Amino acid sequence: MMQSDIYNVNVGPIHPSTHGGLHAEAVMDGEIIQDVIVHLGYVHRSVEKIAESKTYQQFVPYTARLDYLATNLPVLGYCQAVEKLLGIEVPERAEYIRIIMAELSRIASHQIAISATGIDLGATTGLMYGMRDRERIMNIFEMTGGQRLLSSYIRIGGVGADIPDEFIPAVQSFVNDIPKMMDEYNGLMTGNEIWEARMKGVGILSKEDAVKYGVTGPNLRASGIAYDIRKAEPYGIYDRFDFDIPARSGGDSLDRWNIRIEELGESGRIIQQALDNLPEGEVKAKIPKVLKAEAGTEVYHRIESAKGELGYYIVSDGGNKPYRLHVRAPSFINLMVLPLVCRGGVFQDLITNIATLDPILGESDR
Amino acid sequence: MEHLFTNLATALTGWMITLGLSPVWADVILLLVKWIIIITIITLNIIILIWLERKVSAFFQERLGPNRLGPFGIFQTIADAIKLLTKEDIVPSAADKLIFKTAPMFFIVVAVMLYTVIPMGQGMEVINLNIGLLFFISMGSLSTIALLMAGWGSDNKWSLMGAVRSVAQMISYEIPLAFSLLGVVMISGSLNLQDIVAAQDNIWFVILQPIAFLTYFIAATAELNRGPFDMPEAEQELTGGAYTEYTGMRWALFFLAEYTNLVAVSALMATVFLGGWQGPWLPSWLWIIIKTYGVILVFFWVKWTFPRIRMDHLMSFSWKVLVPVSLGNILLTGAGIYFCQWMGWC
Amino acid sequence: MNGQGLIKGLGITLKHFFQKEITEQYPDVMPELATRFRGCLQFEFEKCIACGICVNSCPNNVLSFETEKSENSKKKKLLSYTIDFQYCMFCNLCVEGCPKDCLHFDHDFELSTFSRDDIKRVYLRPAEMDEEKEADAAPVQDEQESKEQKQIDAMLKALQKNPQKILAKMLEQEEDIGILSELMQSNEKTAGKIAELLVKDKEKAAKVAAGFVTKEKKNRLQAEKGGEE
Ligand code: SF4
Ligand code: SF4
Repeated sequence: MMQSDIYNVNVGPIHPSTHGGLHAEAVMDGEIIQDVIVHLGYVHRSVEKIAESKTYQQFVPYTARLDYLATNLPVLGYCQAVEKLLGIEVPERAEYIRIIMAELSRIASHQIAISATGIDLGATTGLMYGMRDRERIMNIFEMTGGQRLLSSYIRIGGVGADIPDEFIPAVQSFVNDIPKMMDEYNGLMTGNEIWEARMKGVGILSKEDAVKYGVTGPNLRASGIAYDIRKAEPYGIYDRFDFDIPARSGGDSLDRWNIRIEELGESGRIIQQALDNLPEGEVKAKIPKVLKAEAGTEVYHRIESAKGELGYYIVSDGGNKPYRLHVRAPSFINLMVLPLVCRGGVFQDLITNIATLDPILGESDR
Repeated sequence: MEHLFTNLATALTGWMITLGLSPVWADVILLLVKWIIIITIITLNIIILIWLERKVSAFFQERLGPNRLGPFGIFQTIADAIKLLTKEDIVPSAADKLIFKTAPMFFIVVAVMLYTVIPMGQGMEVINLNIGLLFFISMGSLSTIALLMAGWGSDNKWSLMGAVRSVAQMISYEIPLAFSLLGVVMISGSLNLQDIVAAQDNIWFVILQPIAFLTYFIAATAELNRGPFDMPEAEQELTGGAYTEYTGMRWALFFLAEYTNLVAVSALMATVFLGGWQGPWLPSWLWIIIKTYGVILVFFWVKWTFPRIRMDHLMSFSWKVLVPVSLGNILLTGAGIYFCQWMGWC
Repeated sequence: MNGQGLIKGLGITLKHFFQKEITEQYPDVMPELATRFRGCLQFEFEKCIACGICVNSCPNNVLSFETEKSENSKKKKLLSYTIDFQYCMFCNLCVEGCPKDCLHFDHDFELSTFSRDDIKRVYLRPAEMDEEKEADAAPVQDEQESKEQKQIDAMLKALQKNPQKILAKMLEQEEDIGILSELMQSNEKTAGKIAELLVKDKEKAAKVAAGFVTKEKKNRLQAEKGGEE
């Protein structure tokens, strides 16, 4: 009988494939993973506490720092939560612009997930192609909000400013190119035999486990549950759009990967519809300079961010600052299944699983 | 042009004998001169090669690659080398110092030894060894030991994992590597590389032995630790594998040795399968350079396209696919030779 | 399957090998920036009305300014405006809030400096802004001072003439008023002090007056005790 010692390997917090400050301690038996202990908190910035010392408007830029790869999504969630709290009506045009920006952010985030998975599995060129395409979204953000990454464009009551003239052609050409991009990712990576061998059957997350752990977003849909808040509980004007929710049943890494690529196409469809129906009009509601909610009111608002259900819970004590703000961060909850999906796999599967679970540490550590 | 180097060598020997040296000593000195030339060529070659890989990989990714220093950034590698030379040399306190320090030297010495037998042109080799191919394969497999030394000496889990992986991988791929070359040896009937080149006078072995060519290419990629088989290094998983703890010039030696290996293996491939230095119009030594660089470019192309294979798949691929296929190829070659002789073609 | 995927991948990379590179050539070629690009925050001193909206809307306390109250008008005079740029997160909230459009972002994105102190930018009041007014501003100040002095003198006279009436506004008990008026008659300095305070700050005057009274009471108590012994 061969005997081997159990040893621990610290993957992260400084490691090329941990997507920021994740620290996964792998308990290994040879090349086989026995367990993974996830240590979090390396990117903790006490965002929730900061919220208590900032006015409602002042906190808007901070929310973008939660999910810094899909910056418009957390901002949208927060702004909608505050609007719900205060009963602010958002002008029609702003709603449409917000949808376009949100879906562009989703695409940007998925493209990062795609390219990061590429480099984590050793396909360096996949990284560059994903980044190259994402660059166009960054240019669109720069056009509207003036900043590429943390564009700070969506505001309470609407958006910061109306879209510039060059916006619509740029978005249109990007949307037209989405199928081409998907083909390229699929051709370079998905269809590749090595790629398939590394992903198929790796890190299986069963339907039951996914529900038990509260996993949401593409990871849940890969496990066979077509649950998307955009459909299940439409916020904003999502009920006006026609789109599908891609779902798979295997729950392995390949399914999680494929879901993200398919979602690029669905987001493209939504943007196309929004562009076609974009109405004229105001882009920002008239709101008072100082926002105050009634004492004791509270609100929970959730949106489908690129990583899953992103929820904001705000309690007001009557002042111009939230009394308490809590963020339900999808990445934090999705990360909790990492030990579950890694057990029994080989060491390289850990890297694959981290990549396809696509956590973002800014959000999970807050 | 054709006999430029051989004539130079003869002239040098003649000159030394006129100076009063005995022919034996003249031979020894000539050997030394050849070695110095080879080492210079290797170093220069590596500088170009590193630049080339960065440039080529950039083109695959729609980037520009190095473009700051010199025309097309060609001096970038020199600048990098100077940077590496001036870096602090860190030896981990828990490392096994002797093993840690000798590993890179061992690696590069083994890599340079490979060049001894490769015919760089008509009558141009350091030693015309009659077991040249065998020498090449056995020298190539020695580099495993260097990696194991590096991994063990570093006293680091990543390094050790990389080292153990590399040993498993190299031993497994040695077998299909040797087997795929056997077909060629059977046809040419010699282990001498010059003979093998001469045997390709009419037809290149890549046409006679396509399966062997493919299996050799795959096995050689694994032997070279290049993507998609770069297990021992595995930047994204093992953070550099066996090289994790190395800094400065020690690390650069590993890097140099890897590229030295790459050139040697590509040159061997050109020699064994692509007709070696044979070719029309151009001098023989230019032909081998062109062919070698052609093979190297394919290596680059593969590396910058494919994702890294998983360790257990890698092993099973070797034992379950490559070994049977290369064995089958030997059988097929034998049958073919028998058939030829029966028909009286050869 | 069976290697087709591998070959397809090779084909894709080969296709890109011959395509045009898309690398931006910064710093040789400056990138094209969108018109709304937010580079460095700039401030225009002349337009600013020192309303403080920018300071209040900034989430990170980047902005601050110093003002001086002009004496002849209610308008505040801006002395200096500070942008502590190291904390700025380019959120644009200050720019959107400013009613006079004196803040804007330019396209300069090369913001690194050699020392931390260089990041902080202080805009001082430009000299030409004051020049035009200075000529008549200076005498006004003198006038102001002499005006105040006159008031104090008048107050002092009134205090000496009829202390009870004025002091009744500050002190409640009759006894205290008596004590203080006695004190003022005996000590001119105390009277001057109270008169000055009455002109400048009534509340403070009341406090100081009360302080004087309690002190005097204590003194008297002690004096009585000493007498008994
Ligand atoms: S851009 Fe934002 S952080 Fe910067 S000074 Fe203006 S309000 Fe403050
Ligand atoms: S908001 Fe504008 S006008 Fe008001 S203090 Fe700030 S810079 Fe001056």
